[in-house]
Amino acid sequence: MAERPEDLNLPTAVVNRIVREALPTQVKVSKEANAAIAKAASVFVLYATSCSNNVSAKANRKTITGGDVIAAIQEMEFDKFVHPLEIALSQWKGQQNRKKEDAKRKKEKAAASLGSASEDKRTTDDKENEEDDDEDNDDDDEEAQDNANME
Amino acid sequence: MSSPNGHPTSGAAPQSSPKGGRDVSLPMTRVKTIMKSSPDVETVSQESLFLITKATELFIMYLTKLAQRNGDNDQSVTYRDLAAVVQRKDSMEFLHDIVPKKIKVSEYLEIMKNEKLDDDDIL
Repeated sequence: MAERPEDLNLPTAVVNRIVREALPTQVKVSKEANAAIAKAASVFVLYATSCSNNVSAKANRKTITGGDVIAAIQEMEFDKFVHPLEIALSQWKGQQNRKKEDAKRKKEKAAASLGSASEDKRTTDDKENEEDDDEDNDDDDEEAQDNANME
Repeated sequence: MSSPNGHPTSGAAPQSSPKGGRDVSLPMTRVKTIMKSSPDVETVSQESLFLITKATELFIMYLTKLAQRNGDNDQSVTYRDLAAVVQRKDSMEFLHDIVPKKIKVSEYLEIMKNEKLDDDDIL
């Protein structure tokens, strides 16, 4: 799948919203400033990824883990991010586990209805893929909107 | 409708607030695309994807606030404010070429003119 240039940039509408929510309502942000922040954020992703990858590589691993990212963030001198990130991560993990539990319970319920052809023959993996697919759909909508907004 | 501190009041508060929550505003699939474009990156765990997405949101807020507080005017954020922050902070060295300070054409020509003179001196 070839990557179009806009795929390597974060959606400006979302970035602008985060910028707005970080400031008091009356503060104005110039168009140029918004564009620069969006660009900086995309480069931040690349830089953080590269640093995280170095951490994994030093440990002879091919998968970047959450711990690698935390270590990289500290190396990048953004120590103040570590605490909020750790809190957010534990909340997110809790949410992911709840989703898995729900999926598991649904599957067990369906299996419990013996004899009748169960509609829910999908495995948890399929469900996770479905969740990812849903994410992709959201992204497509944003991309379509983003393309419409392209300068 | 906005509350005094500027944050919109809505029923979907946890989802719309990027601050400390488990939710993210930036699309993780897009972040993943950017991560994968980096050379030598093989596998990205879901956890690391979440953390980098979240860290990027924190970074956006951080950069924005710094630019506003240290800028010429605290009622606005201009490109100039951003460039000043980026050029000054050590932690933002990776952005020095991405958000450069702007100079006028006349200033640039002056710099180029002086450089030319230096070369002539050597010869």
